[in-house]
Amino acid sequence: MPKVEVPPRYRGPTNGLAVIEVEADTVRSCIEAVEVQYPGFRELVLDPEGNQRRYVRLFVNGEALERDAVDTPVAATDCVQVLAAAAGG
Amino acid sequence: MTNSIGDQLIRVDMTEHTVSIEAYPDAWKLLGGRALSAKILLDECDPNCDPLGPDNLLVLAPGVLAGSTAPTSGRLSVGGKSPLTGGIKEANVGGNPGQDLMKLGYRCIVVKGQPADPERRYALEVTGDGVQLVDADEHKGKWNYALIEDLAKTYSKTTSFISIGPAGEMRLKGASVACTDTEKDRHPARHAGRGGLGAVMGSKGLKYVAVDAARIPGRKPVDKGFYALGKKYTKTYIAGPGQEPFPKWGTSTGVEEANQLYTFPHKNRTEGRSPDVYTLDGMRIVESFEERGGGMHNCMTGCIVRCSNIVHDAEGNYKTSALEFETLTLLGSNCGIASWEDVADLDRLCDEIGVDTIETGAALAIYMDSGGLEFGDAEGAKRILHEIAEGTELGRAIGDGALAIGRKRKHHRVATVKGQALPAWDPRPLKAAGVTYCTSAMGADHTAGLVIEPGQPYEEAVRASQDSQILNAVIDSSGFCQFLMTNLDEVREFYGLFYGEEVTREQIADLGWQCLEDEWEFNRRAGFGKDDDLMPDCMKQDPIGPTKLVWDMDPELVSRIYTRFEPRDELFESRPS
Repeated sequence: MPKVEVPPRYRGPTNGLAVIEVEADTVRSCIEAVEVQYPGFRELVLDPEGNQRRYVRLFVNGEALERDAVDTPVAATDCVQVLAAAAGG
Repeated sequence: MTNSIGDQLIRVDMTEHTVSIEAYPDAWKLLGGRALSAKILLDECDPNCDPLGPDNLLVLAPGVLAGSTAPTSGRLSVGGKSPLTGGIKEANVGGNPGQDLMKLGYRCIVVKGQPADPERRYALEVTGDGVQLVDADEHKGKWNYALIEDLAKTYSKTTSFISIGPAGEMRLKGASVACTDTEKDRHPARHAGRGGLGAVMGSKGLKYVAVDAARIPGRKPVDKGFYALGKKYTKTYIAGPGQEPFPKWGTSTGVEEANQLYTFPHKNRTEGRSPDVYTLDGMRIVESFEERGGGMHNCMTGCIVRCSNIVHDAEGNYKTSALEFETLTLLGSNCGIASWEDVADLDRLCDEIGVDTIETGAALAIYMDSGGLEFGDAEGAKRILHEIAEGTELGRAIGDGALAIGRKRKHHRVATVKGQALPAWDPRPLKAAGVTYCTSAMGADHTAGLVIEPGQPYEEAVRASQDSQILNAVIDSSGFCQFLMTNLDEVREFYGLFYGEEVTREQIADLGWQCLEDEWEFNRRAGFGKDDDLMPDCMKQDPIGPTKLVWDMDPELVSRIYTRFEPRDELFESRPS
């Protein structure tokens, strides 16, 4: 099953879990599958229109996705990494 | 006039009206900025002194690498005993004065005493010809922008300035110290905001410091590999983090994410999200550049992050600069003010008068929450900021910060630790940040150690806070800006090449830990105890977010921060949040 890596600042909804296995076949459906288990996660990554949020970067197996490529297919052994931009004061 | 150049330290006695220069101890070469300020204050300042009296010290200490060619390395620490917290304080600031002092070979300025006549004003001039104290009565009471405009007529174009506004002269506890930026007009838009150090400077009768390094080149490293390291670091940064939204567009564009995490406090922290997130989002500022002008820039020469914004009004004229996330939060959302344009006006007023935007925003919100003003009344807020400068009773209370106005209004919801207002990053979802707020000698200060990890187990939150506090103590001593996001291994690599000797992991971690210990010891001697490490009741009782988060960490667990954990790889490899 593909895995989703959750950055530290988005682990509130996942109760501190950093890696979550899901049954899904696209990046989007991976995010949705995490949402089913841990409500509140999706809105951190995707805006209400379902687009990747500006401050989020998505990777599959370390390769960065284009911003409009949320429907990229994933294989069972793939890892979807969610990266959050740096914060500040 | 005292005349000497080298690695040296300037001592100013405002009682005797003297300036002396002494050799900078070689044993202190890896101290700078915050660590240097902490050492000097612990060694030389009576922790029980009156913060606005002659025995307090004002320390101006650039970071270790300031004045070198390392990227984004010119930051300055302003230190002293804080009139706001009653404890030790360091506030870190950008702009050019830090590196200009170092290029002249001055590692630190230590100011003691105060003039017999509290109505007199003085300035310190630091140039290649030496250092002198001069009269500055003609500038008494001037707002920061008007002051710099006038000074620019008589000082060279290469002079940078450190100044206070009327709030500092009135010795208000929320007063800031301003530094000028890289722009031709040298805007006094960079502020050492937290802790009221502007009042300390004002209590010394010092209106401004003028630093002219003319065209002195950067400080030379012992090992020329230093230059290659700087180039490599710059290339990696620009290709990677430099492309991210935050460095590209500034911290103001962090509003949306913070809101999603329930750490965009609204209406005196009664809610963690704001309905006005769209109109307060820094992306609106970015969008304004096309029609109005303005844009992103670096606040100090040699900065590669360029996260500072220059904000214009609807007519295309300069309005303010460095309109950042914390300001949009505390002066915007926290006050129920919906428009970034109104926050820009408030930001400009704070910079002019010389007050901390975080403390002032928190104070205004408490005033609103207690019924003094409607939430969202931006014009009312601007009037009150004018009252600070006028010195009215209300203005002084707001200028003295959140706790002062909270006590005056007998209000129950006053979110401070050690007397300093909580910043935007809320401890209810962010427990490790809360540990920092409780235990840092600085009081509630996110720059002392920010960890953004909701849902973190509490024991790990204590560990993470300690690591972050050590990291940030080193960075705030180095001259690097936290937004460059160097880790400890990178800092020690730069140090090693600059001084031509290896700096080990143990040494760099010890530098950070010693800085924390010096600060904690100063506060212990000043009378601080366990009760000063507590989060205010409102954070324990007022829940936010769908899971109703409150501050519920056991103080005994939090106090484990004072015992040093065995260093782990993460300490050296992690970067500031």
